[in-house]
Amino acid sequence: MPRKPCSPVCANASPARPDAMDFVVTTLLNGLTLISILMLVGLGLAISFGLMNVTNLAHGEFVTVGAFVVYFVQSIGGSFWLGLALAPIAGAVVGCVLEFAIIRHLYSRPVSTVLATWGVSLILQQGMELTFGLGAKPVTPPIEGTFDLFFTVYPAYRLILIAIAMLTLLGVILLIGRTSFGLDIRTVIQNREMAEGVGINTRRTYAIAFTFGAAIAGLAGGLVAPLAIVLPQMGVNYLANAFFVVIVGGVGSIGGLVAGSVFVGGLTSILNYQISPSLAQAAVLLAAIVAVRLRPNGLFNGASR
Amino acid sequence: MIARDRNWLLIFAFCVALAILYPFIADGYQLTVIRDALIFGLFAASLDFFWGRTGILCFGHAAFFGIGGYIMALVTLNDAIPFASLLGVLGAIAGAALVAAIIGYFLFFGGIRGSYFTIVTLALGVICQQAAVSWSSVTGGDSGLIGIPPIEFEVAGWHVDLGQDLPSYIFVSAIVAVAVFALWSLSRGRWGTVLTAIQDNETRAAALGHNAPLRLLITFILSAAIAGLAGALYVCMAGLVAPDLSGLLLSTEVIVWVAVGGRGTLLGPVLGAIFIQRAQQTISSFNPSLWPLLLGCVFVIIVFVLPDGILSVYARLKSLFKGWRRAQ
Repeated sequence: MPRKPCSPVCANASPARPDAMDFVVTTLLNGLTLISILMLVGLGLAISFGLMNVTNLAHGEFVTVGAFVVYFVQSIGGSFWLGLALAPIAGAVVGCVLEFAIIRHLYSRPVSTVLATWGVSLILQQGMELTFGLGAKPVTPPIEGTFDLFFTVYPAYRLILIAIAMLTLLGVILLIGRTSFGLDIRTVIQNREMAEGVGINTRRTYAIAFTFGAAIAGLAGGLVAPLAIVLPQMGVNYLANAFFVVIVGGVGSIGGLVAGSVFVGGLTSILNYQISPSLAQAAVLLAAIVAVRLRPNGLFNGASR
Repeated sequence: MIARDRNWLLIFAFCVALAILYPFIADGYQLTVIRDALIFGLFAASLDFFWGRTGILCFGHAAFFGIGGYIMALVTLNDAIPFASLLGVLGAIAGAALVAAIIGYFLFFGGIRGSYFTIVTLALGVICQQAAVSWSSVTGGDSGLIGIPPIEFEVAGWHVDLGQDLPSYIFVSAIVAVAVFALWSLSRGRWGTVLTAIQDNETRAAALGHNAPLRLLITFILSAAIAGLAGALYVCMAGLVAPDLSGLLLSTEVIVWVAVGGRGTLLGPVLGAIFIQRAQQTISSFNPSLWPLLLGCVFVIIVFVLPDGILSVYARLKSLFKGWRRAQ
């Protein structure tokens, strides 16, 4: 069964680039688009992999589900924005069911979690292929125009994407830093037994955090749908990259997540101009392996963990 | 320990006897089917040698299979190279071992373990597949390389040509039997005991004076070398090599074979590989897109119902039978 990985974000969607300044700005903005998406996908993984120590290999499928929701809503005549609003809800539902049915039974068996979530990801992929058929699905962006910005023109939709991603990240920072639920999450992460002791329902906190991560991955999928090749198998690429975002950046802080996204996303978009996308993907993953070797605790973290 | 060794040897002898008797009841096509299944069985045993002994899951083992396959293909397709079959096999083993040595050095001595290791090796499989696709001047790109000749060599004036069904079946089963037995002997002695100690508590094992990263590295290299050998054998028998031989799906399938057969038994994975491939063929002939769906279900079911694999069913039934006898 050949599985063809597709490049995360099409590099050829950007307009022509006449001079050096234009090239720099375009590369920068392309990088920012990719970094935004990686940040959103990586956030859910940082919660499940970094904090709950659950290796969720079905996380990429939350992205796929989000993208397919947008495709489906558009194909029955709905607007892109309705689809984008439904994408995180769909991601949350799938994530919630997965946590409830499988992951909560396997918190003490890490290797089994890997096997079971990979099984779920195969089931979801094949389920979507059986429902929607083979081949890439077309998704049209809600805004076709371009935007003049520092000596260059750039697709307006991508700027909106970057803005939505940044707002979402800001919302998450506020949620974790300022609300009582955020306090619960931070407590459970620091010491699960102690949190249980002071009366926090750790199981429920885990379930909500996991569902929340899935919802944001679903949103990322919906956002990226007009730029990417929407396929049942698209999740794998986001999965591998997002894992490296979390590992390279280091676990446990939003700063690490941002650093990891900038490393992986920035390098990918720079290399995409020099070599073929699949080779660029391979090179970035190699660089990430070396980075993990040199800074095992993450780019940001010193001696913690 | 002694009783378990005897059980293992009994099952091993039984399997070897079956393999010897099989050509008498099977026709040429069935022989080639089992021969290919055995090669994948060897591949599964190679993963089990690492995963089963150290508890660290390598999610990109197909990378080594693919590297072995591509090296074998490139060597045998080049007319200028003498003793191509032999050199190809050696090159495949060495190439896979070398990549494993580099990756393993980076990871084991960098303190990467557990799920981190799993993720990095998952990316390794993706990297190899992408490289095979994009380096098309050497690897043939998406369509791969075809026309790889069967293994052919001369031993003491005796010409061996594995283009025929029966000789290739005998050759492959002999290699698989020897390799599985060798891996088992290696993993049960002192070497295996130390690996178990590292799996249980690496800090304590290191405190007792064992160089844990080095032990893990050597085990990983050996495991990758056998996977490379399996890859080399496979491309000669199939006559072609393609990027999915190092891809994620094959990496996942080999994990299923090990998990179904029983992790840590070495023989179970071989049986699991043969069993699942037969099932795959039956189901795929019925509807090809159903197979990945079922594969996913098998993963989930194994985790919840059969965490120790099919070989554990025998042990469970035995203890059940004993309990029933006692109750009588």
